[in-house]
Amino acid sequence: MVLEVALTTDLAIILLGATVLGFLAKQTGQPTIVAYIVAGVILGPAVLGVVGVTELTDALSELGLAFLLFLLGIKMQLKEVRHVLVPIVKISIPQMTAVALAGMGISVVLGFTLLESILIGLAVMYSSTAVVVKMLNDKDEATSLHGKIDVGVLLVQDIVVVILLAVLAAGRPDDLAEIATTLAIVLVLAALVTVAAIGASRYVLPYIFRRVADNTEVFFLIALSWAFLFVFVSDEINLFLAPFGIEAYLSIEMGAFLAGLAIAQLPYSKELRDRVNPLTDLFVMIFFVTVALTLERSELLFYWQEALLAAAVLMPVKFLIFFSLINWQRFSLETTFLGSINMIQISEFGVIVGVAAQQGGFIGTEVLGFLTLLALVTMGVSVYFIEFNHRLFERFGPVLSRWARDGDFQESKKTYRDHAVVVGLDEVSNTALPILADQYEDVLVVDRTVDHIEQLETAGYDTLYGDVQNDTIRKDAAIKAADFVISSSVQPEVNKAILRETSNDATVFVEARRIDDARELYNAGAHSVLVGPVLAANRLERYLEAYFEDRAEFQRLIETDNELIKRNVNHPDALLEGTLDE
Amino acid sequence: MSELLTTISLIFIIAGPFLLIGNRFDLPTVPFLIIAGIIAGFVVDEALTIELARYGIALLVFMFGIRVDITNARPVLRDSEIAAFGQVLVVGGLGVGLGFLFGVPLAEAWYLGVAVAFSSTMVGTALLQTEIRQGLVRGRLAETIQFIQDLVAIVILLVLGAGTLAADPIATQLGYGVALLVVAFLLNRYLFDVVGRLAGDSDELMIIGIVSLLVLFVAAATLAGVSIVVGAFAAGLAIRYDPVEYPGLFNGLVSIRDFFLAIFFVTVGALVVLPFVELGVAASVEKLILVAGLVVLTAVVKPAVTTAILIANGYEARSSALTSLSSDQVSEFALIIAIEALILGLLRQSIFDAIILAAAVTMITSSLTQQYNERIYRAVSSRIPLGGTHAKIDELSSVPEPLSDHVIVVGYGRKGQLLVEACEDSDRQYVVIENDPARLDTVTSECDAYVFGDAIETYTWEKANVEEATLVVSTVNSTPLSDRLLSFGFDADLILHTDDAAEGWTFLERGALYVSVSEVLAGEELAQQLRELFDDGRPPEQLRNERMAELNAYAKAIEEREITSGSSAR
Repeated sequence: MVLEVALTTDLAIILLGATVLGFLAKQTGQPTIVAYIVAGVILGPAVLGVVGVTELTDALSELGLAFLLFLLGIKMQLKEVRHVLVPIVKISIPQMTAVALAGMGISVVLGFTLLESILIGLAVMYSSTAVVVKMLNDKDEATSLHGKIDVGVLLVQDIVVVILLAVLAAGRPDDLAEIATTLAIVLVLAALVTVAAIGASRYVLPYIFRRVADNTEVFFLIALSWAFLFVFVSDEINLFLAPFGIEAYLSIEMGAFLAGLAIAQLPYSKELRDRVNPLTDLFVMIFFVTVALTLERSELLFYWQEALLAAAVLMPVKFLIFFSLINWQRFSLETTFLGSINMIQISEFGVIVGVAAQQGGFIGTEVLGFLTLLALVTMGVSVYFIEFNHRLFERFGPVLSRWARDGDFQESKKTYRDHAVVVGLDEVSNTALPILADQYEDVLVVDRTVDHIEQLETAGYDTLYGDVQNDTIRKDAAIKAADFVISSSVQPEVNKAILRETSNDATVFVEARRIDDARELYNAGAHSVLVGPVLAANRLERYLEAYFEDRAEFQRLIETDNELIKRNVNHPDALLEGTLDE
Repeated sequence: MSELLTTISLIFIIAGPFLLIGNRFDLPTVPFLIIAGIIAGFVVDEALTIELARYGIALLVFMFGIRVDITNARPVLRDSEIAAFGQVLVVGGLGVGLGFLFGVPLAEAWYLGVAVAFSSTMVGTALLQTEIRQGLVRGRLAETIQFIQDLVAIVILLVLGAGTLAADPIATQLGYGVALLVVAFLLNRYLFDVVGRLAGDSDELMIIGIVSLLVLFVAAATLAGVSIVVGAFAAGLAIRYDPVEYPGLFNGLVSIRDFFLAIFFVTVGALVVLPFVELGVAASVEKLILVAGLVVLTAVVKPAVTTAILIANGYEARSSALTSLSSDQVSEFALIIAIEALILGLLRQSIFDAIILAAAVTMITSSLTQQYNERIYRAVSSRIPLGGTHAKIDELSSVPEPLSDHVIVVGYGRKGQLLVEACEDSDRQYVVIENDPARLDTVTSECDAYVFGDAIETYTWEKANVEEATLVVSTVNSTPLSDRLLSFGFDADLILHTDDAAEGWTFLERGALYVSVSEVLAGEELAQQLRELFDDGRPPEQLRNERMAELNAYAKAIEEREITSGSSAR
């Protein structure tokens, strides 16, 4: 059997093009998303025409969105999201209505027919999940308050898109009742899957993941398996419901998000993030490149003037709509500003809606081109606004405060400051715990072994499961703000990374195995480097001399040490509960 | 959702439970992915995922290529080269012979030979991680045998591609292959750092850049008519393995590789035509017999042959046997070779299936033989005289004069050196036991008496004249070793090392005179320093300066020792 398996060159060209432009972007200080979009425009039919969409690139870019949301889900601790749920709903529904109307209005003014305008309005009311989530991730703001608001709104928009697509696929709707039923079904489904996810996270997942947590390779694959389960069910939910005569769809992005949400409730989630990230980066890049690949040049540029005008009007309009709504919900001025400025672009979903509308015979290809161009332009421009959002707030915040009140929405989150961090639990750091507990209010232990985490939690210490080599873990442990850090790792790279991140006022104790490493670590700023083997070797050498010269002395010396061992063995928990000496 | 994406989803969904089962029993993931694939074969169209699977192959070989450091030659035990080639030739030959028995033509029986001869890096070496870390002879042997075999496999893939993709003669193909390797070498030397600097601190760009590089090499290979595997290998050579400088990069590559690799193994399994279920009875039985034959060759004959070769080269029977038992599985390179051959139409489905099934079976059995390797060795050696000589030990050791009342020091690292120093200062006779060839030179030049062999072997101790010794000090932190020493029940006093307090206590109870638990000592030291900081209010800077001074004094003392003893120890 000979199978047709030539590796497609399209993927190769996409990768290379995006990489080259990405590096260029980095050198000139531009965000990479813009580079990828531009790559797609240049390589695609609009300019060079060397690549088109293939099944492979299609699949990988879909995966990109799915993974992006999976990653997002992993970051969402339910308890952190719960309190923003209500404001999100109150913001998103009016927002979509307002933007749809604005979109419709502008289109009519620009000369589109009424039907076209309605559809354009329905297409522009979403903000780009890909751009917003990626930028939030890259800037580490996904779990900030405005980040949560934006993500929440995006998810609600996701549900709406799904409904709209279902309606458009059915051809022109007969009546409002049909729309209403579809809406109801989708909402119920979404709720069901959410419940299933949360239920699983409480009863099933802890059991499964605990067993595999110590084996990183299997852990990663099982997590992927879990994510794909949700993706598959979301996509094929139509098949499952067919016997009941119900027609409904859920997006795979929503499925992936819920899968991630389920895992987020476990302590092992942070490890996972760092493993899923690289894959996501790769696939999301492919996604951004492929956005521009679907249309012919003439179709894309037919309404280019209208597109630019619409972009120039819609972006500020969107900002203002979001601003008023978020502010109405009593969030602080900063949160309101940041939350609004992230959402000013037209989404890739707009393009997807456009495609469905075109296939359903509602609009022509040129209008689709208009929507695509609009999306591309606004996505690219908005990236800059998001990149410099904080600086823009500093500039324009005071101006806006005249028209907006500064809300007082509170949120609670544990942040560490001036605390003690112990990296890795072993016999050495063990002795430090009770002493540190006396001295510091917060003692956080970072460890990669499930058993240790459990022991420590029982003893009442704050814990963080993960590998300190991961950026996310170091950030969550707030190493920058710590006052005292003890590292039981003997790898110089790990300790150097810790030393780089700690502030100059902090005291840092580390371990090492070799003298050269110890020297380097002192030079890097460590206050004390414990070289276990050296201590032991020194002692043994002295003892050996005693062994040869003075047996009685030798006996005495080793008895003291043996006592130490015995104490260590007999009271391993005592060391965790209180100080040895008191 | 595209059909491809549905297929990928199903692959991972089906793989999930199997992975859990495998993990439950502490077995490697690869065979379970293959089994999952066999099941998945009924619901997915593997033709869709073959392209992705080939990316998995490329990534696997790519990562292997990264690990290969062309600038430093690895210290290779010369004898292991002989063992590696011997194993490949003899066992491979038997595999081909098996093919002939079943009426398979040479061109295809060849692949059976390959399947049987090579051992798995992923599974085999992974099983030996502990032994390799502890520097035991068999760990090193296995590692180097493995490495050589992997290189040979790459060459085979080069030739495989050459003979069939185009009408070009093999020489041209090899020429292209070599050209790729040269380009890779140049890139590694000159361009890699430039790329790193351009990417700045962006892991994302670095990863995408590296993946693009891989794609470039693979594309070049395809254009030149050479197998993509060679392109991927060359790409790997172009990357410098520097996890210290670029930690995010290598972690990222591992994630990407694991994703595609999982798809690869499941796809391989899916390609298998299952006996009895999808075949007629006669064909199925024939296939199963072939699989059984392959398994026997791989799991029984191969270790036997390897053991024989190693013993013939002068290694201890035990080391030889245990090394061989880690190589008793089918290699993933054989799987790659098989699937490439299948795609090119060089291999018939039934042989392919047999190889895949044999691989899955042997990967599982080999982790079992690894778990019970000691028992197997004892069972076999008590029934069959394995011979094995002490030639190697005698050849490399030197115990010049009769010893008595002496000290035996196990391990000549920093600790061992200090102890030997102490013995010399007190005018005491001593013998050093060491098994690391990298330290052989140091030991030979610095020690009055030494035995070069595994401390686990009885003969080593005979040679060191343990009957007459007063004290045995083990500087090696190894539980099996310490266990063994305690079980010998020497008359001499025994001092051991460990870094686990609980274990240290058990050693004391079992009769050790003293156990040096460096962790406990360091813990005491740490507590002491903390008390000085907090209770006594000592400023951290002061502590730092004092500690640094201490360290420098210590380091200086060592340097002086090195100068006086006239050698440069590490």
